[in-house]
Amino acid sequence: MNGIILSAIFGVLMMFSSILTSNKATIRSLAIVLCALLLAGNIAEQSGWVLFHVNTSGMLHFSSYGLLFNSIAYFVTLLYFLLSARDIESVGINAAEYFALLFFILAGVAIVSSYDNLLMLFLGIEIISIPLYILTGSDKRNLKSNEAALKYFLMGSFSTGIMLMGITLMYGAKGTFALSGLTETVNPGRNAWYISGLLLLLISMAFKVSAAPFHFWTPDVYDGAPTVFTAFMATMVKAAVFIGFIRLFDTAFPASGQNWKLVLSVITAATLFIGNVTAIFQQSVKRMLAYSSIAQAGFMLFALYSYNDLSKEGLILYSLGYSLATVGIFAVLIRMKDYTFEGFNGLARTQPVLAATTTIFLLSLAGIPLTLGFFSKYYMLAAAVKNGGNLWLVFFAILCAVISVYYYFRVIQAMYFKTGQAEMEPVNAGFRWTLVGMAALVILLGIFPNLVLQYLYF
Amino acid sequence: MNITTILFWFLTVLAIGSALMVIVSRNPVYSVLSLILTFFAISGHYLLLNAQFLFIVNLIVYAGAIMVLFLFVLMLMNLNSESEPSRQKWLKFAGTIAGGCLLLVLVAALRDVDSKSTYALVNAGDSGLIENLGKTLFRDYVVPFEISSILFLSAMVGAVVLGKKE
Repeated sequence: MNGIILSAIFGVLMMFSSILTSNKATIRSLAIVLCALLLAGNIAEQSGWVLFHVNTSGMLHFSSYGLLFNSIAYFVTLLYFLLSARDIESVGINAAEYFALLFFILAGVAIVSSYDNLLMLFLGIEIISIPLYILTGSDKRNLKSNEAALKYFLMGSFSTGIMLMGITLMYGAKGTFALSGLTETVNPGRNAWYISGLLLLLISMAFKVSAAPFHFWTPDVYDGAPTVFTAFMATMVKAAVFIGFIRLFDTAFPASGQNWKLVLSVITAATLFIGNVTAIFQQSVKRMLAYSSIAQAGFMLFALYSYNDLSKEGLILYSLGYSLATVGIFAVLIRMKDYTFEGFNGLARTQPVLAATTTIFLLSLAGIPLTLGFFSKYYMLAAAVKNGGNLWLVFFAILCAVISVYYYFRVIQAMYFKTGQAEMEPVNAGFRWTLVGMAALVILLGIFPNLVLQYLYF
Repeated sequence: MNITTILFWFLTVLAIGSALMVIVSRNPVYSVLSLILTFFAISGHYLLLNAQFLFIVNLIVYAGAIMVLFLFVLMLMNLNSESEPSRQKWLKFAGTIAGGCLLLVLVAALRDVDSKSTYALVNAGDSGLIENLGKTLFRDYVVPFEISSILFLSAMVGAVVLGKKE
């Protein structure tokens, strides 16, 4: 509860801060401090200090799993603010409002990670989506940004409608919104309603995490949105929807009495294939990262496909590893003058520190050992192997990971082995040190992943 | 024939008559106005069924907000007889088939309904009263009720962010 209430209050505080001051540095520092407080509040709840005792009457359930994910999301957001707060301000004149919307999204993240009622799932997803539509279109003078926002809004509204229809059918079958009530069999004749409702819910959630074949909005929206907000959209938000997804797999999907493995394996394989193969042909690094986020979503779908303890742990690791690396790469990308691969030519000579950290993040995304990305991929695949059965999907995923090495290494190759003058905006020492710290964290957790996972079993 | 029955028949005739006016009248503004009248008549039916909340929501949302939006769009488009699109034969044909299908579904669904059952409680029943709804809303659903305020707040902030002049 701390996370939800504090982030909502902090969002309002950010909103009012623009009345009191027009100094951008003050607003930026306030956002960073509030985000740190939010993280502290959530960690306090993890160790049993609940600030607000609210009787949620079964609407929300705060498990150690959801709380750990909240901590990860707030931690990565804090790093994101430290790295990119300046760039958030330079998008437009409403700097304080952008931060307010980001805090509201964090409230939505906390709801989605701990809902126990389909009503709350809907509210959480909407609280995440609506500020994102606005942030996508926040660069008002840019036609591409406007187009992306309109596309995202229309498609997102359709998918919300599909989700509501699904929830309605499920309510009709079971007579309750509560996840715990879904396991009770009420009327066997209405199981068809329940299954069709669940299928609609699956489709709309797959849309939100940009799984194939519902991924068509992703490249355009990620490419058109201001790059700072793409970084946020592709990481915390996507991981949060996956955590919401996995809560559905706790109760709602087994309750249908059907086997969803086939549907999920088709979605997973298609997502992996389309994401990885299309990313090869991209000329812009930003667009490549959009496709790579689809490909990474394919790996995260493994957590649903082989739903067990190992895959739940893996999803936590994956969301941390993927978010850290992607936020780091985007932070560098925002400062680049040219977003194409050629724009990175010779970065290692002009900015050796940035090139080195970017290399570590890219290696982590590709899943090279000694980085966090390796262990997160390992947990996902090991969970699928543990369940037995369809090993072809595991081999297919490994093949796709090998393909992904190609396009991630194109950036590394451009930075180190090509001559050119990579132009970028000036960066200060704090930016460099934050990136170095993140890269160190990626390597440290890549060697000792249990440093994170131990918090699951408090 | 008591007053409820008289009201019922009056509202029914009003609803069907104004619904016919929606599709018959050639001026789109008259169509919208008749649609508002239809909504009022249907709201009256809700009140006869003791569904106060549905009554007021139907008035506020449909007759109020959505119809005003309709009127605005119509006036902005400035429709008149010259700009009216030509009505093609097959369009009418398709419309008839689509409407007929809907009628078929409705008749099939309502054919077996027991009209004397407790689904329609005229002048009795308390499930639609605002009092009971309020109690449920603020006892069992108070958390989603409060949390939806974050949603509305973020939407309002967004409207200002997008609409403000730079």
